[in-house]
Amino acid sequence: MSKFKKDNKKAAPGVNTSSLPDIVFMLLFFFMVATTSKESDPTVKVEQPEGVRTTDMTPYKQRSEIDFLYVGKPMNPARAQKYAEMGMEYLLFLDNVAQSNPDDLYNVTAIGRWKIDKFESKPSRMTETIEGVITCVKADQGTPSGLIFDIRKELQSIDALTIAYAVRDNGNI
Amino acid sequence: MARRDIPEINAGSMADIAFLLLIFFLVTTTMDRDQAYIRNIPKLIEQVEEPQDVEERNIFAIKANSQNQLMVRKDIMENPDDISDRMIEFYRENEISNDPSNNFPMYSTITMGEIDAAIDVAYDDYDATDAIPGRSDDIMDFKQGVIDEWQKKKNALILYGKNELREIHVQAHVRIEVQSGTEYYLFAKIQSEVEEAIYTLRDDAAKEIFGESYGTIKKRYDMDKKGDAKKEVKKRDKPKLDLLKILYPDRFIEVTPN
Repeated sequence: MSKFKKDNKKAAPGVNTSSLPDIVFMLLFFFMVATTSKESDPTVKVEQPEGVRTTDMTPYKQRSEIDFLYVGKPMNPARAQKYAEMGMEYLLFLDNVAQSNPDDLYNVTAIGRWKIDKFESKPSRMTETIEGVITCVKADQGTPSGLIFDIRKELQSIDALTIAYAVRDNGNI
Repeated sequence: MARRDIPEINAGSMADIAFLLLIFFLVTTTMDRDQAYIRNIPKLIEQVEEPQDVEERNIFAIKANSQNQLMVRKDIMENPDDISDRMIEFYRENEISNDPSNNFPMYSTITMGEIDAAIDVAYDDYDATDAIPGRSDDIMDFKQGVIDEWQKKKNALILYGKNELREIHVQAHVRIEVQSGTEYYLFAKIQSEVEEAIYTLRDDAAKEIFGESYGTIKKRYDMDKKGDAKKEVKKRDKPKLDLLKILYPDRFIEVTPN
């Protein structure tokens, strides 16, 4: 004789899932607050170098006072080979550039046009002049510095005089 | 009138909708924040004047070649982590008293009386230039800049609370020279070390003068600037940052490789 009755006739009641939306909404809000939207998906592979004492770019992003450009090896192997034959192992990537031919996407001389286009399409509430709008260069660790200075030169020629070198912050100690 | 019971709305699909939104945000956003070093590019000028001679003691040159080897002030450096220490030494060596025999930049001392005199001179100069017929607006902006600069210095000294301001030589600067083949990781490392050195110098000064760290002041300034605070609140930390900047100026020159 046991004290516990085994009653197999009754089916187990279904689990109440009415609080599931609450949980999911909570997760949703967490991610909405804790993350920032991606600027674009570059077609070059960028592995950033490390550094300390960096400046956080988030406030500039919120005020859209920043444009990103990427430098790295192309992800597409065929394209990588094509440009490697031309002696360009590391390529520049510009998003949303008005392109007359597909190569413009990777062309250093297209920076001026790209930057001015971006500047003109900024929201009107932005008061920053083109000199103050940051151009953030996200470059791969192996990029030759010459390419960075080519970019600088292009920016200088259109008076976009603020540049930012993106790095991965290895902890603010 | 007969009242009908309003049937309850089935909320069973609410979770599905929420999941859909959640997944959308997971895909389109990124967790990592963008961190970078902000630098200014010098304005392009057409007429290049004969460059001034800069004494060797005022130059802190960091050079890197295509084989990613480092040279700091004519010494080959194996470990890039040492750059910041060398740079702090560059700023600190003559800070207390000038020693002409060493190879570090000199400091000069300026009193409140001298600053006031300089402001008067700058105003007179502004008025004199303004009176010249056919003057350009650029030169007036420049003269205005001179006045603002001295005014800033005056405010800084008032905040500093001392009788005199000790400043590093006006030509003292950090020069980053890389070759086109230098890999970006080393360039970024140099930037990182330079930033670290300036941060350390300013942090020490901030702790001594204001009793709080440079990082705290800077963060608070950024927060104030971002928020909808009143103008006075927004600007409250500006004089502190200005003073630290005058004490330890960040004059960096990035030399374009040829």
